[in-house]
Amino acid sequence: MKRFKALWITLLILAFGVAGCGTSKNNATNSATADTSASVSQSASPSESQSASPAEKVKIRMAYWNKESTVQNLLDLIKQKLPNIELEYQFIENSQYDNIVGTQLAAGSGPDIISIGPPAASQYSKLGYLADLSTLADRFNEAGTSVYSVDGKLVALPGISWFEGIYYNKEIFAKYGLKAPTTFEEELQLHEDLKKNGIKPQAMGAKSFEPMMKSSMGLIMNEFLSLPENKDFDVKYGKGEITLEGNWNAGLEKWSELIKRGYLTKDMLGIDYDQALDEFATGKAAMWESGPWALDTIKQKNPNIQLDMFPFYGSKPGPGWLIGGPGVGFSANANSKHLDAVMQVMDLIATTDGQKAFWENNQGGSSYLKGADFEMPAEFDGVKETFKAGNVYAPWNNWGGNVSGVIQDYGKSLQELLGGKSDVSSVLKATDKQTARIIKLNP
Amino acid sequence: MNRTKREINYGMFILPALLFYVLFCVYPFVTMFYYSVTDYSVSKQTNLDYVGLRNYIEIWDNDLLLYGIKNSIVYALLMTVFQTAFGILLAVALDKKLKTRNILRSVFFLPAVFSPLVIGFLWNYLMSTSDFGLINQGLTSIGLSKINFLGDSDLALYSVVFTQLWQWTGWAMVIFLANLQSISKDYYEAAEIDGATASHQFWKITLPLLQPSVSVVAITAMIGGLKVFDIIMSLTNGGPGNATETIMTAFIKTSFSEGFYGYGAAFGVVFFVAVLLLTMLLMQFLRKWGEKIA
Repeated sequence: MKRFKALWITLLILAFGVAGCGTSKNNATNSATADTSASVSQSASPSESQSASPAEKVKIRMAYWNKESTVQNLLDLIKQKLPNIELEYQFIENSQYDNIVGTQLAAGSGPDIISIGPPAASQYSKLGYLADLSTLADRFNEAGTSVYSVDGKLVALPGISWFEGIYYNKEIFAKYGLKAPTTFEEELQLHEDLKKNGIKPQAMGAKSFEPMMKSSMGLIMNEFLSLPENKDFDVKYGKGEITLEGNWNAGLEKWSELIKRGYLTKDMLGIDYDQALDEFATGKAAMWESGPWALDTIKQKNPNIQLDMFPFYGSKPGPGWLIGGPGVGFSANANSKHLDAVMQVMDLIATTDGQKAFWENNQGGSSYLKGADFEMPAEFDGVKETFKAGNVYAPWNNWGGNVSGVIQDYGKSLQELLGGKSDVSSVLKATDKQTARIIKLNP
Repeated sequence: MNRTKREINYGMFILPALLFYVLFCVYPFVTMFYYSVTDYSVSKQTNLDYVGLRNYIEIWDNDLLLYGIKNSIVYALLMTVFQTAFGILLAVALDKKLKTRNILRSVFFLPAVFSPLVIGFLWNYLMSTSDFGLINQGLTSIGLSKINFLGDSDLALYSVVFTQLWQWTGWAMVIFLANLQSISKDYYEAAEIDGATASHQFWKITLPLLQPSVSVVAITAMIGGLKVFDIIMSLTNGGPGNATETIMTAFIKTSFSEGFYGYGAAFGVVFFVAVLLLTMLLMQFLRKWGEKIA
């Protein structure tokens, strides 16, 4: 009998526990947006908390998919310059970031400062979750603000850019008297010269859908998207008013010369990012398409490697284009209880000091803030002119929300093209079909 | 009265587990049916509208999901047939009185203790076409050309199946061994007296009496095959193209990468019905086989 009494007591405790979970959940939700007097009252004496004054710290929350170390200097700067604000940093794992933040925002709560990518910025803004930051828009270049503007309003401050170009091994180039190209035709010739000398021209981890997707778009940006008449192409494409089929064919046909001439080969479909990096770092391939994040790993694998980067080129000589864009934007939750404090942080981010602090933990990219010019590592000397021209762009950033499926389909169709199972027109039609499906499903 | 009271008291023991089961399994499962007829998405999480069968109709317009269904069925059938067949052969071989049988049993079972993700990354390097790929390095060193195991769309799915047979055949072998040891030696002695060959003994005694374990292995392999996910993500991520996309990889990409939860829920319902039907068919087949030999 004693045993059953013990069981009943256990059940009662469990029931209270479950009820307790419910209560604590409510508290947790409330605490995200609760008035900071609560947090102040925990640390301050009762008399201090009663005399609520402007000197009290306002507690706000910032969410980001990267570790705290990637924004440490910025957090330190905010602490130093805005002593009235206590910024709580919340790391949310990348794969679940949009689901968690999206759900919190839908529930009327969510972080006060939301780190955001262009597709999510577009979605959340249309749902009224993001505050208007247009008063700060003039401080940034249009290349940065265009991807974070919705219906003419700036909804996020563009952070440090990410970019991808083509790394090349300077020692291999020097050995065979080769130099970085200035047009796509020269790039093809470069591949041929390297191949004749028994060197694998380019390493590519085509097992991932990304490298061919970006490489081909690099050429199309030069040949098609940068033309004045195509300025609005990407926005129109995102709305379903125009298709890739019939517009990108010439550019993609030209890019596919890399496949036809045997510079990109079927065996690359069995190689992933890490293996391609290994091939380039160990000198087995002369070129590799990637970005600044790979630099440390390359140098760890081969500390003596001499490398530089060139951008994607088209038929005509010029500064070329890099695939990239604002890696992260900082937006303000329109429902934040402390919008004033959030705007103070936004104002600080939109200064040279703020940008420098963020850049220090994200070197390799550049700032979109006017007048903010930070020294790039020597390994990116070859793309300085491209940066000066502001030619850093990723077409899908202007295709609206839910684009991950579209760019994946495009990249996967290119895998089929490389594998000899598809053609240029089919690649573009498959991508158009996916885009049309997503537009149809969007409420 | 005492009996009822006792039943209630015993019932209370399962209540905590039942509570968690209902909360984290039954409730999400039932809500999936509800969400499948709404426009629930990352852009619309409140005030959901009823959209009828729209999500179900859209499934048939999505190439990714159709490739996923086709590849999953091929994968599940191959896994069911070969895992069962190789598992039986291995179990029969290692049921003999060999000096090394305990070591061999351990060796064949060993891959099953690793996570499919570990196995995936291991085979990814072994099968790579880069200069670091061990298998291709071996092939080229003896004058053969490289095989693009994971990058050839005609070969990739079968390469994945191969790695999974390598990993799980040992597990099936253990199940069959347990069953084999329960078969009385009297049957074999009687068969030998009647002049039955080893082959006859296998087909007429061993295999029919393995029916219970064949059912377990085949049904587990079929369900596991239909919902395969982790090994695909670590080995091919569904590529090249859509050559190795499966129901689960397509489901995750559609539901979470694209954020169309209602659409994903509809696909979940279709997946549930498909698994239910295929499993019922397989069970029917195995039951008939059992009745035939009974």
